Amino acid sequence: MNIDPRSHVPIYLQIAAGIREAVAAGIYRPGETLPSLRAMALDAQVNPNTVQKAYDALAREGLIYARRGKGLFVADQGTASAQTRAHETVRRAFDQGVRTGRAAGMQADEVRDIFEASLGNSAETGKHA
Amino acid sequence: MTTTTDTKPAIELLGLTKRFGRTTAVDDLSLRVAPGSTFGLIGPNGAGKTTTIKMLMGVLTPTLGLARALGIDAEVEPLTLKQRVGYVPEAHHMDRWMRVREVVAFCRSLYVSWNEDTCREMLDRFELDESKKVKQLSKGMLVKLSLVLAVSHEPELLVLDEPMAGLDPLAREEFLDGVLRTICERGQTVLFSTHSLDDVQRLADTVGILHGGRLLVHRNIEELLATTKRLRATLTNGRVPDRLPDNLIWQRVEGREWLVTVGEFTEETAQRLRAEEGVGHVEVIDLGLEDLFKDFIRGQRAVS
Repeated sequence: MNIDPRSHVPIYLQIAAGIREAVAAGIYRPGETLPSLRAMALDAQVNPNTVQKAYDALAREGLIYARRGKGLFVADQGTASAQTRAHETVRRAFDQGVRTGRAAGMQADEVRDIFEASLGNSAETGKHA
Repeated sequence: MTTTTDTKPAIELLGLTKRFGRTTAVDDLSLRVAPGSTFGLIGPNGAGKTTTIKMLMGVLTPTLGLARALGIDAEVEPLTLKQRVGYVPEAHHMDRWMRVREVVAFCRSLYVSWNEDTCREMLDRFELDESKKVKQLSKGMLVKLSLVLAVSHEPELLVLDEPMAGLDPLAREEFLDGVLRTICERGQTVLFSTHSLDDVQRLADTVGILHGGRLLVHRNIEELLATTKRLRATLTNGRVPDRLPDNLIWQRVEGREWLVTVGEFTEETAQRLRAEEGVGHVEVIDLGLEDLFKDFIRGQRAVS
């Protein structure tokens, strides 16, 4: 798990997002256990209290659930819920981009070109990665 | 981590003050650290971090006020404090000619609750060669040895004074790992001072910013990041409005650009600013811990 301590996004939210992505990508599947607090804290090199906050947040949104003495599990609808959330995140990021463009006086076509170029770029980097 | 319902603070400073002649190094410092949490103390050089820690550990006597660790006043019960607290000081006071094995044996003899398994395990993991003399150890090895000696008696509170300063990235990571392991296994309270905001982000639950011996802020990191924002406003006539935002931390005017960092930010803060005469566009900028720290310090320098 890679976290960025320079970011303005609190570390526990970065960890929660990382786990959400991993669930959406099928790295952790419904019914499977998540790494323990200790394992996650040592892997991400952060305080276990911070990992606990991330797990609490994911449990509140229903992505994971705790079974007493057995650890944390990915919920049955976990994969779908994480994918819906990822979809929402991307949509909001594009909304923000469109607003920025409009504020700078751009027309829809110009914004669309930027979007297409951005898609092209990521396809390129995808190939070379 | 801790399931304790005990609300007694693990660390309590009350009006703590230290003067050296005419210089006030620590100025009326009050704070509480909850048991099981990790507190990161940051501040520029000479802010009073080490002086504060030394008073807590009984190395220095306060001019005024008091410092209690685990409810123990170092002035009253210095030996009880040493048995229950682990301390990695800024400067290490180990005899340079002693071998690591001898230093370990010496410390083992001092503590009632020494856990030899913990000690062995850490010495192994850090790959510390016990036959080496202290003077042969690298800076990284010395700090790691200091950590082993500070946690092997299983203290309830661990105090680290700029432990990672001057370490290479690998040694730093190994030290951090060692501290995190003890937190995972024992859930003890930790106080550490540092210049590295990365370390604060990774280790700390709450952060305190010290400047000129005074505590500017002490707060949970997520709350601090969520409520401290920088606003970039366009000043249509180049003049700052008469009424400044509440909880102003720092501001700078350059031409028509006005940067203003505020605490306790809400949407209302931005709306109120937009409604001011002579203020055009207002953009809200999220701050990382580093920019936030710099704005707090720059704001202080501007008023002093």
